[in-house]
Amino acid sequence: MGKVEGKTSALEAVPLGGTAVRASRRPLLDRESFLGPIMILPAVLYVLALVGVPFVLSLYLAVSDAKIASTGLGRFIGLANFTSVLQSPTFLRSLVNTFVFTVVSQALVLVLAKILATCLTKQFYGKSIVRFLILLPWVAPISLGTIGWKWMLDSLYSPVNWVLQALHVIPQSSWPMWFGVRELAMASVIGVHVWRLLPFATVIILAGLTSIPREVEEASAVDGAGFWSREFYIVLPLLRPILTVAGLFGIIFAFTDMTVIYVLTRGGPADGTQVLSSLAFFTGILGGDLAGGAAISLFLFPMLLLVAVVMLRIARRAEVS
Amino acid sequence: MGSSQFTRRSFLKGAGVVAAAATGPTAFVRTARAQGKTLKIAQWTHFVPAFDDWFDKKFTKEWGEKNGVHVTVDHISVNDLRARAAAEVGARKGHDLFGFLDPPPAYEDQVHSMNDVVSELEKKFGKAINLVQRATFNPRTKNYFALSDNWVPDPLHYRLDWWGEVGVKPDSWDHVREGARKIKEKMGHPAGFGISQELDTNMMLRGLLWSFGAQEQDESSTKVAINSKATVEAIKLMTAVYKESMTNEVFTWDPSGNNRFFVSGKGSIIQNAISAIRTAEKQNPDLAKKMGLAPPAAGPKTRMGSEHLLHCYVVWKFAENPDLAKKFIIDLVASYNDAFLASEFYNFPSFPKSVTDLRGKLAADKFNAQQYLILADAEKWSAYPGYPGHTTAAIDEVFNTFVIPNMFARVAKGEQSAEDSAKQAEAEMQRIFAKWGK
Repeated sequence: MGKVEGKTSALEAVPLGGTAVRASRRPLLDRESFLGPIMILPAVLYVLALVGVPFVLSLYLAVSDAKIASTGLGRFIGLANFTSVLQSPTFLRSLVNTFVFTVVSQALVLVLAKILATCLTKQFYGKSIVRFLILLPWVAPISLGTIGWKWMLDSLYSPVNWVLQALHVIPQSSWPMWFGVRELAMASVIGVHVWRLLPFATVIILAGLTSIPREVEEASAVDGAGFWSREFYIVLPLLRPILTVAGLFGIIFAFTDMTVIYVLTRGGPADGTQVLSSLAFFTGILGGDLAGGAAISLFLFPMLLLVAVVMLRIARRAEVS
Repeated sequence: MGSSQFTRRSFLKGAGVVAAAATGPTAFVRTARAQGKTLKIAQWTHFVPAFDDWFDKKFTKEWGEKNGVHVTVDHISVNDLRARAAAEVGARKGHDLFGFLDPPPAYEDQVHSMNDVVSELEKKFGKAINLVQRATFNPRTKNYFALSDNWVPDPLHYRLDWWGEVGVKPDSWDHVREGARKIKEKMGHPAGFGISQELDTNMMLRGLLWSFGAQEQDESSTKVAINSKATVEAIKLMTAVYKESMTNEVFTWDPSGNNRFFVSGKGSIIQNAISAIRTAEKQNPDLAKKMGLAPPAAGPKTRMGSEHLLHCYVVWKFAENPDLAKKFIIDLVASYNDAFLASEFYNFPSFPKSVTDLRGKLAADKFNAQQYLILADAEKWSAYPGYPGHTTAAIDEVFNTFVIPNMFARVAKGEQSAEDSAKQAEAEMQRIFAKWGK
């Protein structure tokens, strides 16, 4: 302690104007002006290297004729890849599927997460176990969880179908083929995506619910407000910022992720569950048309940009308040 | 030592020492490893596990000892091979030898020419079979971009008991339709021709198209030829088979889907490599005795099926040991008597003379020689993606974006007429050909 105190008193003794001289004599690693940028530099480099550079590269690839094994970056060909992609019925179907997949899954995630979070604010026996089980899909590797669902919904050995049959809900002769019918396949991939994202949204909403002042709820109870009145006129309006954040994060996850669809259906049946991210992968990586794949993936960009702007504005508003 | 002595400076110094200690041994290990030669091979996880056992534990081990090389083999699942290849090319780093399951013409700029290896092998074993030559050779650059050591026939697998009961042999597509319908009506057992976005479907449906006289492209490999009367007829036939004797599960399959379907005892007929019947022999020998093999069904034009897989190696231009890799392939082909037996007849030799008395070996199968003997003539009824042209980069994209399976699926699902679906496939292929033709 003595050493620190000694330093402080020495600095105090220096007249105004002498501080700069003293500061320059301090070791570099003890200076905020030097250490601050140094400490933030890895994060900046990380974002630049793993987000910035690939993004700029994909912008260029989309207007080039680069192929998977091109030796360079390809030749500039303008918007030819975009016009080519727009002529493809598969692309148009994937665009529609992307919106259906995203909107339906996010609506379900928000409603179910709100219900779960409300339940978790109450005290009940085994709450910690329930909380652990709810979080499990989020902490498990996504590919592993999805492979589990692939078997759960398998055409031959589906335990889901077996249980439904045992409960006499369906006869053995008409087991639903979860990935074989367009509507069922879309419902399956949405269901698994909801299963995966639900814990994340629940935790966010739970944090929002616990931050609502108790007096507000108590006052509404005194005024005679019932459960639904409280939910719609007090809780949901107060939760709106946090629900927006959960929703926007979910939209980004749904728009950009292809793991669930790739593992479960590979875009089938007959492109019935093909989304832009999976189509970009099939075209660019498996098909070898790197530029075409980049052009498809860039159709997501305007929507993601809008989502990012909204998120930043919400974050800024929260910071101001 | 008060807590005040733990300053940022001391923390950063400490962290630096820890980081140096952590990375130092790694750098040393890298240097040490670089002193001996290592041949790195990546290839699929074989559907017949006995082949991987032979390859990993016997052949590569003995070859490594003989040549003073450490050989490593990384097995990659069927669905991930292409993505792994793309990653290696993107990073310009990876294995010395990379095994594809279908020809990869799109990678020609990134691989060493195999012309010298082909010449060497031709001197020893004569020419490779025609389908291998057409699928791995680029006539424009006069270059073999890959070297195929083996290919896999794609026969029909059918239940001898049920087909016998309805008195039909699956010899032609009309007979397949008739027999499958009768079995479904009489016994409730569906047929299993995949109409899914996967490898097996891609192969089986191409065979159906050729047998009707349809083709994806012309012989020059420059003109799309999919939209034809023959294609429409082939689509209508498969739609009829689907409606009369299959279920929606044919839209759900991955490459192992039809195997599991048939080996479970549920299905009456599938078209697949012999891994299906081999699996049954091990898991359910009684059921396997009721299974038969047959050449692909004949259509109005001819009898033709696709190769089920065409295994071919490439040597990346960035490979560390390209000469060693090429020597390995030559020695592997020279050992194909053992490889053929280790794969339980799954891997057929691309250079036929590298296996002696193939027919005799098939006839000596201890389980069901009579069934396997039909494979002796497999070359006569097998073709490759892009037939009658070459397998080009455009065909590669058509193949890997599942244009053909989806053309059939749209009609089977009642979303389009056969004519409209063929027209859509033609537009899609012309778009792809235009991109690669530039």
